[in-house]
Amino acid sequence: MDRFRMILLEVHNRAIYEALCLRFEAAVKNQKPESTKLIIADFDGIIYHLSNPNDDRTKLCLSILLHFYKDLKEHGADELLKREYGSYLIDTPEADYSVSLLFDLTNIPEDWKDLAMKASLLKRNCFASVFEKYFEFQRTGETGHKTAVIHYRSDETLFVRALEDRVTVIFSTTFKGEDDIILGKVFMQEFSETRRKYQQAPQVLFSYKNPPAELNDTNAIVGENRGYVTFVLQPRHITKQASDNTINMISMFRNYLHYHLKCSKAHMHQRMRSKTNDFLKVLNRAKPESKTKPEDRKNIHGKIMRQTP
Amino acid sequence: MTTTLKPYLNAVRATLQASMCLQHFDSRVVERHNKPEVEVKKSKELLLTPVVISRNENERVLIEGSVNSIRISIAIKQADDLEKILCHKFMRFMMMRADNFVILRRKPIKDYDISFLITNTHTELMYRQKLVDFIISFMEDIDKEISDMKLSVNSRGRTCAEEFFKQF
Repeated sequence: MDRFRMILLEVHNRAIYEALCLRFEAAVKNQKPESTKLIIADFDGIIYHLSNPNDDRTKLCLSILLHFYKDLKEHGADELLKREYGSYLIDTPEADYSVSLLFDLTNIPEDWKDLAMKASLLKRNCFASVFEKYFEFQRTGETGHKTAVIHYRSDETLFVRALEDRVTVIFSTTFKGEDDIILGKVFMQEFSETRRKYQQAPQVLFSYKNPPAELNDTNAIVGENRGYVTFVLQPRHITKQASDNTINMISMFRNYLHYHLKCSKAHMHQRMRSKTNDFLKVLNRAKPESKTKPEDRKNIHGKIMRQTP
Repeated sequence: MTTTLKPYLNAVRATLQASMCLQHFDSRVVERHNKPEVEVKKSKELLLTPVVISRNENERVLIEGSVNSIRISIAIKQADDLEKILCHKFMRFMMMRADNFVILRRKPIKDYDISFLITNTHTELMYRQKLVDFIISFMEDIDKEISDMKLSVNSRGRTCAEEFFKQF
């Protein structure tokens, strides 16, 4: 399993998790709290800010900036965060940030590790609201709601739609440069082929340049370097038990794909470097050995022996 | 080694051995200059007829000879888009290191992927036979390397997909 540790990305933000654990642990042990000011970046242009509000070291404020929070708000992100974080959530977020959580270091619960984990899932929970809402629509059979559109990156969009027997999630993603488009295609092909072996997984469809037919009524972008990934989620993926996992996987997919494209390129580069060195070695064999004078050697009597040329 | 590769490489080897018969030759156009005649192409009588050896329409070698230099250009097999970018990347990577490779040309000839320029200085300083060996081993290895890289991209894609779907 060790070999696969880096293959799946973590859903939570490890930097946040570790920073919080460190501070919670110190607080539990009654150590003097340090002053904190951390800015942590995450995927999708998200920025976390961990600080002491008003220089009060006994308080810890975790804020997140999502450029597309207003899209999420429409789909009940506020309620979901309220449910998840309860009293930790503060009503008016820090200036310039979308959501803020406030922890009182003098009053840290026993299970502070869980609390830190929960806080580091802040981004995932923001995303979850849209999915949960549309999953619920499907379960109750409420169709006819318009497609949810989340502009999760400046030029990439997420569409969620509930239908009678399924929920479709469509990602539009941009591949930078010719190479990424081709590598992307190879990866996508592998995804659709592998899917056949795993019947329990949701169906995955891909299209290039043109958005799938479902998006005809939206202003989805058409372009050379654009890929559309459609997940068709069957009711079994969105049951109450399975939905958390589904949300984790779906919200991670885009970063997962791009991460592995980059890894592939890095691997290729490494191979090229070593192969080029091999070629160089072969070429250097063509160069005659340097013609330095052979070292003088002495025989047993101390007499210098010279090689006859 | 496939049946067609062996005679192809043999033909290239024989042609290289024959054409790598280079001598010092001062430029006849500019006094006190000495230039690879195959590049400047100023005097027609110093150039030899270029030879193209091709295995199929995608894989071929162009050997241009002259009195003091030869130029070898290789077109590498590119079956699909992925091989095309892999080949392009790899060749660019090597050509950026042309200084170390001595005989590598910084830019390929049109329609070819990589070019080598061997002058009389090179053949005087290095073993002629080993230079031919290098070109041949390069041609042998490059196809293998590109198809290996392609396989590794594919297998990474498959592993990623499997790990992802296993989670459901």
